[in-house]
Amino acid sequence: MKTLELGYFHIKDIVIGSESKIENGVLYVDEAAVKALVLEDENIKDVHFDVARPGESVRITPVKDVIEPRVKVEGPGGIFPGMVSKVEAVGSGKTYCLKDMAVVTAGKIVGFQEGLIDMSGPGADYTPFSKTINFCVVCEPADFLLATDPTATLPIENAKKPEYEKAVRMAGLKVAAYLGELARNLTPDETETFSTPNLKEGMEMYPDLPRVVYVAMLQTQGLLHDTYVYGVDAKRTLSTMLWPTEIMDGCIVSGNCVSACDKNPTYIHENNPVVHELFKQHGKTLNFVGVIITNENVYLADKQRSSDWAAKLCELLGVDGAIVTQEGFGNPDTDLIMNTVKIEKKGVKTTIVTDEYAGQDGKSQSLADADQLADAVVTGGNANEVIVLPKMDKLIGMLDYVDVIAGSHAGSLREDGSIEAEIQILTSCNNEMGFGKLSAR
Amino acid sequence: MVKEIERAGLPVVHMCTVTPISMTVGANRIVPTIAIPHPLGNPALEPEEEYKLRKSLVAKALKALTTEVSDQTIFED
Repeated sequence: MKTLELGYFHIKDIVIGSESKIENGVLYVDEAAVKALVLEDENIKDVHFDVARPGESVRITPVKDVIEPRVKVEGPGGIFPGMVSKVEAVGSGKTYCLKDMAVVTAGKIVGFQEGLIDMSGPGADYTPFSKTINFCVVCEPADFLLATDPTATLPIENAKKPEYEKAVRMAGLKVAAYLGELARNLTPDETETFSTPNLKEGMEMYPDLPRVVYVAMLQTQGLLHDTYVYGVDAKRTLSTMLWPTEIMDGCIVSGNCVSACDKNPTYIHENNPVVHELFKQHGKTLNFVGVIITNENVYLADKQRSSDWAAKLCELLGVDGAIVTQEGFGNPDTDLIMNTVKIEKKGVKTTIVTDEYAGQDGKSQSLADADQLADAVVTGGNANEVIVLPKMDKLIGMLDYVDVIAGSHAGSLREDGSIEAEIQILTSCNNEMGFGKLSAR
Repeated sequence: MVKEIERAGLPVVHMCTVTPISMTVGANRIVPTIAIPHPLGNPALEPEEEYKLRKSLVAKALKALTTEVSDQTIFED
């Protein structure tokens, strides 16, 4: 039995000042300390911090990653193993989480697919991160990273984007780990326990329940579309298995500049809704066997190999059902369909969670690929739907790149400060793990 | 586009990396290419080697274009 207890601290406000502590539900952050932490990386010239609260007239853009601060207080390993902590298998013992808040990395754009979070107004209804108190880490790239071509649309030199992506990714993770650490010796407001039996125990405990596995597809197309597992670039891995609780300890982190609406930020990996829902049903309506992780690569041979492996693991486990989630769209739709068809052909009932690019009128084909065996689909909604976001009183980050973010167009940012664009620009609004609010019947 | 051009009476070869999508959308002559970010080249190769690769892909496409097919066909070799 693999058991992890999560301890939740409900954060009611964040105050930036000269001391770091959590007191009466308020997170105080020593600005100099977090600044020093971020500036350890020479790729970042400067950084400033800001707090965005639910309901405020605040716009954050361009948003890179969103992370929930956590700390491992008992059991092997540390939080974000292979990235912030040393590599050691996690997923058991005790982990504390700072709830109702997030660390949001923002600032000059890395790729062209960073997103936007509005804390109030119509946009706030679409992004789940309008409901968290956001500690924003706004990074400024070092001069030597900047594009030398004056006609360049984006600020960072092409060849140096991976270095800057890594710098901002690590800045977010380090700040989240630093803030999580503040809870180490405190008592959480509430706790929740997650236990996964091994295969033998599970079959003995629940002989009559259907055995269900979760297949998480990780975005690994390269060129700033990458996900890391225990520090390993997941495009260089074969499909493999995890205890569900390893994910709660941050073993999967986002290094992704894929379209904002269907990106899986680190926060959503940590709080994976499919994992949490399967735990709720575990021992009642089903037996949650574990998690298969598989990738979304750009070579056809890789797609074939990885989906073969995912289906083979389902067969080896002898499961009755599988839930498959995706990240991104376009060619990953083929990975999704390959996984589904191959798993179905092993005699395993499969449900997919995806989103749609059905055109602004919703009349186009929703996915780039399809098959009759993919007959159970949960959608995160149509990313091409158009929205108008009114001007906000305060901006965290910069509006310089609004017209080039995927989902917007030249002229998206209008003279009166409002933005007309596809909902694709809103961070995690069409999330393909079901973390967003949109769906369809 | 493949289907519309064929509808107008011209044979078409669809060169693409993700051949399953090409099959789904209904292309008749499909030539598999290298990778999604660089379908007709390979930045890992030396320029001379890459030129050979590019030339062989075009040759394969021309051969596919002049081959009669009765069903959707992927030209592997």
